[in-house]
Amino acid sequence: MGGLDVGLRQVVCRHGRVRAVDGVDLEIAAGERVALTGTNGSGKSTLLRAVLGLHRHSAGTIRVGGREAGSSAEWAWRRRACAWIPQKPATGRFPLLGRELLASGGRLGGADRGAAVREAVEAAGRLGVAEVLDRPLDTLSGGQLQRMYLARALGCVAAGAQVLLADEPTAALDFAGQEDAARVLAELPVTLLIVTHDRALAERCDRVLEMAAGRLREVR
Amino acid sequence: MSAITVVAADVGALLELVPVQRAGIALLLAAVGLPVIGVVIVGLDIMPVRFAMMHVALLGVAVGLWTGLDPMVCALLACALAGGAVAPLARTPSGLSGAMGLLMSLAIAAALLVLAVSGVNASGAFALLWGSILSVGTADLVVLGVLAAVVPALFWWRRRDLGLLLHDRELAQCSGVPVRALTLLLLVLVAVSVAGAIKLTGALLVDALTLLPALAARRLGSSLTSITVWAVTIGVAVNLTGFLMALWLDWPPGPVLVLTAGAVVLAVHCIPERRDRSWRASASASPPAAPSLPSSH
Repeated sequence: MGGLDVGLRQVVCRHGRVRAVDGVDLEIAAGERVALTGTNGSGKSTLLRAVLGLHRHSAGTIRVGGREAGSSAEWAWRRRACAWIPQKPATGRFPLLGRELLASGGRLGGADRGAAVREAVEAAGRLGVAEVLDRPLDTLSGGQLQRMYLARALGCVAAGAQVLLADEPTAALDFAGQEDAARVLAELPVTLLIVTHDRALAERCDRVLEMAAGRLREVR
Repeated sequence: MSAITVVAADVGALLELVPVQRAGIALLLAAVGLPVIGVVIVGLDIMPVRFAMMHVALLGVAVGLWTGLDPMVCALLACALAGGAVAPLARTPSGLSGAMGLLMSLAIAAALLVLAVSGVNASGAFALLWGSILSVGTADLVVLGVLAAVVPALFWWRRRDLGLLLHDRELAQCSGVPVRALTLLLLVLVAVSVAGAIKLTGALLVDALTLLPALAARRLGSSLTSITVWAVTIGVAVNLTGFLMALWLDWPPGPVLVLTAGAVVLAVHCIPERRDRSWRASASASPPAAPSLPSSH
């Protein structure tokens, strides 16, 4: 089993005066699959974004593979190590083709970039979005866009990412799509931290955590 | 028939004049570099940049007149510095637009203050910003030539990174794009180009050369590369048509070029929106029911 361990200690994230994440401690072993559930606005997405350094007002210690991130080189390593499926994939201010989105995942590879991009394109084929690769992302449906981001994440894993941070990766999918995506995610040889309201997806995880008002508790 | 021949002969005679030739070359060079800058302006959603840079350039001119340095060099320098200074505000989606407004107010206030303190005639400072396409000098041609070479080359070299950055900053960040450095470079380039273009052609023409081709291209292209190619194509076509028409009708080139470009933008927006196919059509054709989805590495 691959993957890197993830450690959070006393993580606090603020949105203005609100403490969206309020002193979270969490240890995830390498290769473990963790589902993060909770009501809307409880701080789940913010926590994920903090791991990637996308939330600027955060404090506490976050380690991935035992490494903290401070300098831009360390953040670059962190973002290479952690693939990300955003909650609301941006349709963007400027058009980006599906193919270009998939190629962006391949940038992460220290290894074979071409192979990583090929993997992402193959994954898009398996996920049923092969024929929209040459279309701008803003012309895709919500489900197609989500499959595209899932395919990109698979490319990132092929490129060497060892952690996958997925933010409601099945929210826009139909029932069959949810099943497929859940199976793909659960079988990835990486550490998984998935924000989800999807019970079936949570079932496939080793641990289920619940977040409420910025605090975390173990459900299972 | 004979009237057309006479007019053609007139235009031909005008084209033999050196200032007219220079103006034509300047417009051609500008048509290669500046529409690409326009694509960045549209992509970063910083339309007020033209006004902001005009005011910053005025501040530069004022400082130049005050200190006795070359006012135009001061203006270009001031714009480059201002472009760099607002780069950190690009972190939030609305940050840049707001920053341009702030920059505009601060720059004009500072410029007026410098002019008042130094006792320079303010209208003299403004006059420098109303360039004329027919008074283009060799130095101006060199600036335009460098922009025409550097801007498209940079775009081609960094097209993947730029495409991601203009699409979504966070996605770019997570894809290993040096977002901060690239934003800084783009803003400095935009600021310098706009300031240079204002100086060459006057504030009105900047729109025709940078923004309008990009606005039309945004509608026609479906990716960064195709939009950029469309922008340059439209830029070259508009500049040539507009310039020849201005010579033919003996009208001032600036307004004619702007109106030509504006007409193209309007015409393009009247074309019904082209979507390759409806997503519904392809969604029904793609049941994602493949049994062997995962592949482990």
